[in-house]
Amino acid sequence: MTVFTALLSHYRRHPWQGAALAILMLLATALWTGIHHLTSQARDSLGQSERLVEVREQVQRVDGAELTVEDFVLLRRQGLCVMPWLEVLPEGESRRVIGVDPLAALCFQGQGDVATFDGQPLVGQPFLDIADAAALMAAEQQLFLILAAGEGPLPSAYRTAPFALSPDTGQLGDSFLLNLDALSVLVLLITGLLLRSVYLLSLSQRRDSFALLTRFGVSGRRVRGHLLLELLCLAAITLIPGIWIGQALASVLEGGFANVMEGLFDSRQLATGGNHWLVPALVMTLLLLAVAIVDWLMPMAACAMPGSRLRPAAAALLVLAGLAGVWLADALWLLFVALALVLAGIGWLMPRGLSLLSGAGVRASAQPGWRWWWAEFGVLCRRLALPLVALQFSLAMVLAVQALVITFEDTFDRWLGQRLSADVYMQVPDGADSALAANWLTEHLPTADEGLWHHVQRGSGRFRYTQAWQDVDVFAVTPVGPLMTGWGLLEQTSQPWQKLASGAGIMVNEQLAYRLDLSVGDQLELVLAEQVQSLPVLAIYPDYGRPAGEVLIAGQSLPADYDLTFESFSLSPASVSLQTITGALRTLWGEPALTIRDNRAIQDLANRVFEQTFMLTRAMTVLTLALAAVALLLMGWVFLSTRLWYFRLLEVWGMTKAEIFRKLLLLALAVTLSAAALALPLGVGLTWVLVHRINPLAFGWSLPMAVYPVFWLELLALALLIGGCIALLMRRQLGRPAVRPSVTGSVTGEER
Amino acid sequence: MTGSAVTVSGLGKTFGRGPAAVSVLSGLSFDLPAGQSLALMGRSGSGKSTLLNILCGLEQADAGTVMLLGENDSTADWPCLRRERIGVVFQEANLMPTLSLLDNVRFRASLAGQPETRCQHWLEVLGIGDLGHRFPDQVSGGQRQRAALAMVFAMAPDLILADEPTGSLDRHTANDVADALFRLQGETGCSLILATHDPELAARCQQTLDLGHRSGG
Amino acid sequence: MRLRWLTMMLVCGLLAGCSEPGTDAGFAGLGGAAGPEDGFEQPGPGTELVFPRDFGPHPAHRIEWWYLTANLETDAGEPLGLQWTQFRQAIKPRDLETEAPDPSGWPLQAAWMAHAAVSYREQHWFGERLARGDLGQAGATVEPFQVWLDHWQLTTGDSPDDWQVQVRHGQPDTDDYWAFDLELTVRGAPVAHGVSGFSAKSASGEGSMYFSLVDIEVTGQVRLGRETLPVRGKAWFDREWSSQFLKAGQQGWDWFALHLDSGDKLMAFQLREQQGQFRSGTWIPVGGDPMALAPGQLQLDPDISAGPVPTRWRLTVPDHGVDLMLSAPPGNYTNDGLYPYWESPVTVTGSHTGVGYMELTGYSGQ
Repeated sequence: MTVFTALLSHYRRHPWQGAALAILMLLATALWTGIHHLTSQARDSLGQSERLVEVREQVQRVDGAELTVEDFVLLRRQGLCVMPWLEVLPEGESRRVIGVDPLAALCFQGQGDVATFDGQPLVGQPFLDIADAAALMAAEQQLFLILAAGEGPLPSAYRTAPFALSPDTGQLGDSFLLNLDALSVLVLLITGLLLRSVYLLSLSQRRDSFALLTRFGVSGRRVRGHLLLELLCLAAITLIPGIWIGQALASVLEGGFANVMEGLFDSRQLATGGNHWLVPALVMTLLLLAVAIVDWLMPMAACAMPGSRLRPAAAALLVLAGLAGVWLADALWLLFVALALVLAGIGWLMPRGLSLLSGAGVRASAQPGWRWWWAEFGVLCRRLALPLVALQFSLAMVLAVQALVITFEDTFDRWLGQRLSADVYMQVPDGADSALAANWLTEHLPTADEGLWHHVQRGSGRFRYTQAWQDVDVFAVTPVGPLMTGWGLLEQTSQPWQKLASGAGIMVNEQLAYRLDLSVGDQLELVLAEQVQSLPVLAIYPDYGRPAGEVLIAGQSLPADYDLTFESFSLSPASVSLQTITGALRTLWGEPALTIRDNRAIQDLANRVFEQTFMLTRAMTVLTLALAAVALLLMGWVFLSTRLWYFRLLEVWGMTKAEIFRKLLLLALAVTLSAAALALPLGVGLTWVLVHRINPLAFGWSLPMAVYPVFWLELLALALLIGGCIALLMRRQLGRPAVRPSVTGSVTGEER
Repeated sequence: MTGSAVTVSGLGKTFGRGPAAVSVLSGLSFDLPAGQSLALMGRSGSGKSTLLNILCGLEQADAGTVMLLGENDSTADWPCLRRERIGVVFQEANLMPTLSLLDNVRFRASLAGQPETRCQHWLEVLGIGDLGHRFPDQVSGGQRQRAALAMVFAMAPDLILADEPTGSLDRHTANDVADALFRLQGETGCSLILATHDPELAARCQQTLDLGHRSGG
Repeated sequence: MRLRWLTMMLVCGLLAGCSEPGTDAGFAGLGGAAGPEDGFEQPGPGTELVFPRDFGPHPAHRIEWWYLTANLETDAGEPLGLQWTQFRQAIKPRDLETEAPDPSGWPLQAAWMAHAAVSYREQHWFGERLARGDLGQAGATVEPFQVWLDHWQLTTGDSPDDWQVQVRHGQPDTDDYWAFDLELTVRGAPVAHGVSGFSAKSASGEGSMYFSLVDIEVTGQVRLGRETLPVRGKAWFDREWSSQFLKAGQQGWDWFALHLDSGDKLMAFQLREQQGQFRSGTWIPVGGDPMALAPGQLQLDPDISAGPVPTRWRLTVPDHGVDLMLSAPPGNYTNDGLYPYWESPVTVTGSHTGVGYMELTGYSGQ
């Protein structure tokens, strides 16, 4: 019999311990595989969504006439890949629908896919088959022809123009992905904790076997080597099913959401990529090695830090250093390192803290029964330290993700609402005189009763603050009215909109303010068309779309010879109908084809864009939490089983089974509830770091931070549920004959 | 107390079913007058521990009746009996590892409704009065068994069931612990049923019951 | 909802890739139940061919196709196979007399699909296009005879027997680009298959109208990536229409059109049913009248050792002394579109030598 088989023989005698070990390892693998899979799916989904809203090209007639089906046929028969896009405002409705031809969309992504448009399904609101859209009684309708990227030259009667479904979401998506990355790193940490707890469990279960081997003269080094080998064997067995289960779980989660979500019927949208196994397999193997190798380094650490009193101090130092780092870091990687330090320190401190609490409890209780209970609580916290920390981190992560996702959803929604506050917007055609339109609108829409409107002009300029001159985007609005004044501002003087309207200052976007450390009241020198004006900053407004700095000014502050790059009108018609307005403008400009876009339809579309990404992100956290809970359940069960004798002793001493169960329940609830309670501040802190530190460092703007106490209560309830499950498992155990510790020889059960 | 502490008649217990069934007790009958002691002898597996478990209500017999401390086994409130009147001592692991020796005794006494003030006294009676603040893993096996006896006597039992209480101790220590057990049993007047392999220990009891001869195999 | 329905129809119906062998809808949905109640006309043994009318579309029927295969050679004598097919799948039937709906309403009475493929040096290039009918984006006319979808087209020249076929796929001047531009000269009269053009497709009488032009000379150019290849050779043109093509339970078909070096031509097919198969064909002797082959007159045996798709066949027609071995060149010739099927040139050996084309549908390996 070799040392290896001698070690393994333990599991022949206790197959359930071996099984629990294997299950935990399998779960940890499944967790990370699932997360990896979901993260990449969320990433893909975001990419697809962004592709849908990115700017494309449309075809217009050079003579300005409206496009018809004949134009479509002519272009297709030339071999050009164009797709019809018929926007219809049905009579008596306020929302537009979009008629599309899925057959014509085939050439947008090559072969093998129908009813998608660059990977985005063209099904569900606001999309209809173009024949159905054309058959509607339409108050308004306009045909667009969208041109696939890279298509050859157009016939001379046509020209291209940009076609955008919504404002560019640009960095909002990137920011979300960065946060997702930060969270997957956290999941890796949680997985590591679970694996480490498995490893330690396997050690503690066999302390006697090791002692025996040592007595037989086998060196500790050799035992550890064999343990590592054993762990690798176990990994080899559990890795593949773990990866498979992880992928299956992820698919189920995705599939569930896909079913829930109207309009995502095309399963190819969520097709499971076959190549997601390599990364998880590699990462898990490395993680496992790291988890085992920690032990080889531990003796050194123990030598360097004698005495258990120094360890909490070291952990506290770690947390403090990490916190300082989080506060002061000026680079993303430093921030991540600092965050890791904080988490490591907290993970180290938490069991110690609970242990101290237990000690205090023992001292404070006069009754021996309670002294016993507090002491057991301490043992439980120490023995389950790693899975408890994993649960704590998982709960914290769920909390952070929940806050993050809601924040992103709200922010995105509000920001779109601001940017698209008017019902429709109308691009000013090349060569048309916008002043004519502005005059007409001033005359015919004098108050909100007739309708709201403003004129948007964009261009660029230069400005100076303190020393250097910089280029900046200029965003001018005339008149500054109710379509603007509803914007949320991050910082403002009193009556900022009135001052802006009178030309007494400018507003700057958050990016610019962050980059130059501008605040309200600072004076900027702004050069527009060689004309220098010195203006105070009236307010800072949130702007998630672009990295560029931008200043908002009143239209009348623009010099007459200012060079515009873009002009449009935003309109919310009331008593004067949209037809009247567009009719008048067509006549004024002599331009029969006006590009009019329905902002509500755009908003619908844009909101849909992020929905699936958020769903997948939530799925990821649910998976983490579920598996952390199962791990704790298993560990709790294995550990409590070793103490079964002592719980049975209570029965011998005359406690009823119900009384014992109550004690156990209280113990389990206290343990999980402590983890949850400690997770709350960690989760809020994590959210804060994501929102206020990582995002500004990466992108120059921050999201508003919100907390959701109702969700905290839900998490606490969940923790109680996990505790209840552990207690129920133990009740089953209580009904079975207990083995006296001296027979198993397990030291674990006698721990105090 | 006068009369019988324990009366057992026609007791039977079988584990398993069918051809694999093992009957450990069959038609066992005996009577233990109050205040007397009985030694249970027999090979391992002869049913000594099973009988003790039946006598404290942790297991149920398949046949026969038990009258114990004036109560019928089918109507007895077993948890109450164990809490207040029956003290059980095992070979090992009689103490909660998380409590000091004194706290263990106090825990046991408080369950039995006995005053905690006498607990230190019992430790002293058993010769470990200065070890009360120590935890079970900080004292020797003999000292742990003395503490176990202190716990049992601190509850002022009417019946003590002891399952090889000295089985894991060396001869000298075992004798000391056995001396203490029999001395205190005599002083308090409680009854004692003692399962043991040791003929010398068995000889110190007033009655001896050898299950080894009675067992069907 | 209609959009979803259309998509489902396309995905799981005629054009779909998801029809498994043995489903009741038959291969590619071609076995959908037909009856007078759905308004589609169904041809039968009494239906006659009328020319030139039948070169044009049959909107009263559910399904039809124009189908060209060509066995060509490059200047260097290397074989090159080529295919162009246009399908029409009706959603709503319409009489020939009824006027087409107004294009401005983007009607959806029929969906059109075009396939084109080039097989050369063990490689296979394939393209697919879809369009709704009645817009002008896709369609067919009798006089002049032309069939088109987007810029892929078959047109007629000055003489009604001179045709041009043009296909371009991808962006010109890229490595993925391929195209062909062919001049076709049609010789000989149309060959009616089955009973005066009604070709039975099962023992219980389902079938389609089917005729072929079997003697077509081809010259032209094929462009593959940045290389232009002058080609010449012969082609085979099929016209087929019906409202119920496959019987429920039929899993797919194997079809062969052969140009034998003797000048004889042979068309043979079988429809695979759950038990056995339904076979039919036409023997077209050089200078003689075509002769329909009854199911018992021909034998078709696949060499199943080749893989999931049988690419070698033995074809025998004992009455005419025909015992042929048909083999596809090495390579994968799956038309990998919405519904994948095998389409490859074959070489003929055995009692006769020659070339031809083979179409195999409904194999799970596709």
